[in-house]
Amino acid sequence: MTGADVVVRVLADEGVEVLFGYSGGAILPVYDAVFRHNAEHGNGDGRDAMPLVVPANEQGAGFMASGYARASGKVGVVVVTSGPGATNTVTPVRDAMADSIPMVVICGQVPTASLGSDAFQEAPVSNIMGACAKHVFLVTDPGQLEATVRTAFEIARSGRPGPVVVDIPKDVQNAKLSYDGNCRLPIPGYRARLRAVEQARLGDDACAAFFAALAQARRPLIYAGGGVIAGAAAPALRAFVDAFGVPVTTTLMGLGGFDTTHPLALHMLGMHGTAYANYAVEDCDFLLALGARFDDRVAGAPGKFAPCARFIAQIDIDPAEVGKVKRVHWHHVGPLAAALERLTAHGRAHGTRLSLADWQAHVARLKRDHAMNYDRASPLVQPQAVIEAINRITQGRAIVGTGVGQHQMWAAQYFDFRAPRQWLTSGSMGTMGFGLPAAIGAQFARPDALVIDIDGDGSIRMNLGELETVTTCGLPLKVVLLNNGGDGMVRQWQKLYFGQRFAGSDKSLRRKDFVKAAEADGFEWVRRLADKAALESTISEFLAFDGPAFLEVMIDPEAGVYPMVGPGASYAQMVTGDFIAAREGDSTVMEAAPVDSMF
Amino acid sequence: MKHTLSILLQNEAGALARVAGLFAARHVNIDTLTVAPTHEPAISHLTVVIHGGEATLEQIVRQTRKLVDVISVRSLGQLCDVGYLAGEAVRSNAHGHADNHGKWQQSV
Repeated sequence: MTGADVVVRVLADEGVEVLFGYSGGAILPVYDAVFRHNAEHGNGDGRDAMPLVVPANEQGAGFMASGYARASGKVGVVVVTSGPGATNTVTPVRDAMADSIPMVVICGQVPTASLGSDAFQEAPVSNIMGACAKHVFLVTDPGQLEATVRTAFEIARSGRPGPVVVDIPKDVQNAKLSYDGNCRLPIPGYRARLRAVEQARLGDDACAAFFAALAQARRPLIYAGGGVIAGAAAPALRAFVDAFGVPVTTTLMGLGGFDTTHPLALHMLGMHGTAYANYAVEDCDFLLALGARFDDRVAGAPGKFAPCARFIAQIDIDPAEVGKVKRVHWHHVGPLAAALERLTAHGRAHGTRLSLADWQAHVARLKRDHAMNYDRASPLVQPQAVIEAINRITQGRAIVGTGVGQHQMWAAQYFDFRAPRQWLTSGSMGTMGFGLPAAIGAQFARPDALVIDIDGDGSIRMNLGELETVTTCGLPLKVVLLNNGGDGMVRQWQKLYFGQRFAGSDKSLRRKDFVKAAEADGFEWVRRLADKAALESTISEFLAFDGPAFLEVMIDPEAGVYPMVGPGASYAQMVTGDFIAAREGDSTVMEAAPVDSMF
Repeated sequence: MKHTLSILLQNEAGALARVAGLFAARHVNIDTLTVAPTHEPAISHLTVVIHGGEATLEQIVRQTRKLVDVISVRSLGQLCDVGYLAGEAVRSNAHGHADNHGKWQQSV
């Protein structure tokens, strides 16, 4: 067999169900091997054993793989050619790294003899990707190819997950090889560190110290991040909360890690978190950070974050995150689910009972008195009303992808998320254009689920070519475009901090007809909605359509995202806007901040 | 404050660039860098001198340990005289460090 056959065989052995990628000269042997693999291993139902999903642009393939990985928890696989094929995947690779998403990217490369010669479609992929991936391999010895591809999967899914790039020169793909079936590369340092972290168990003393501090607390709060989802720790978190009654707020990446409809759920915290979650952070005297990293969108002013917390505890799989931003009093580095199970068991065994009735009542009042709200009386369609209308039908069970900006925050705020892996968003990198391809990938992971892309007119433009991929693949995806005629989040910052000088963000005079674009790409159900009265009926018809559907909603261009904690500001400086009640004494207008001190 | 790091690294394509790139990306300046072979041909020994506070040191050590082809990282402590660093103290320290290779290799 050839090197290309070896690659495909390892992919099959690793359980890869779908490939996302774009062909080209330097990867043709692998594409041919995929074709032959599918011809030989047909499912009998006409479907390929390893279908190849071809995007409009390799960035789309990267985000499809990311959406697939986020929705399934499995490794997403991308196969692209050398040079531009590889560089077009740099953004998804960095995005996956920043959000800890397991991915393997197989890149073709010019033949080893041509490396470094400025050959056609040559790019220094290992240099470029080395700076943004969890790891990158350049395979120059065909004898190492099988072990390398297998090891790439091991690295991508183990520890704190991330993307691994395997750069394979064309002559290595064409080499004559035999198949071992088991070989791996020696990576002694990585495996030793991984083993140490994965075997780390909370001892009795550590559990006792944790509960001694928790027993002192009157107002404990859990701050749960994406690690709850990556670490499959949602059931363990739920059991901990059921046992001890500690309220939970999650980060943007943690949405779904704890059922947002639970009475003790405070939804999202942070820059655009709910007012009640942020007030609870201000009020808590004990904070337990679970798979969360005190990112600047959560703790913009780390010194003023959770100012009343006398004790901060942190559990994370990554030793580098402990104490990186905020000093903690107790920590554990290890798998989150096991740690939470151990804590729950220890607490139960020692008859730990916390008297949190006052605090729980306080949290319930915060949720009631500072509930999310918006301009319900406006004659214009409000974006929040669109999300609410969809959520009334989906009941927190849909899989939701987003682009980046205002629509992303409204979706985060107004959707319920009952379970993990329903929320696909570019959290850390904040990559516009993520939503549509990520939703496509998620639909491949969950063919029977209702998958909705909530997008903005700025974001969807960035990967608009993927509309055609939806219909080509016959996916029943639902695309909602909240059109406010520009880059709304940029506009919001320009309003607040740049004297309403809307440089580059106004697109109201652009000629793009999104309805025609969707029709041109083969969407059968396409509608533009501007009439508030037709919202409910249109949404129910849209969601009920059996096939790809596209709904453009012309929303109030002046709608803002509130609450807002300005960049670098403390939660005490949170602005709740005109429709969410602030606590007495809190400001309702954004204080002018020096523009050179923020990001 | 100057700090010296002793790093054992698998001798893979691009491995040195990944270490140097990590320091650059994390905004930590490398003052001096020495790369030497060890008795094990697949492993190189890096000695890196950086300057920064304790938090910077701790964070860059932890981030370096996340690089897949890094076998081990040790901080050799603060040293004020860089000339002294490149001399005997580092060499003898690193030697003891390198003796651990056998263990790492067997454990995989």
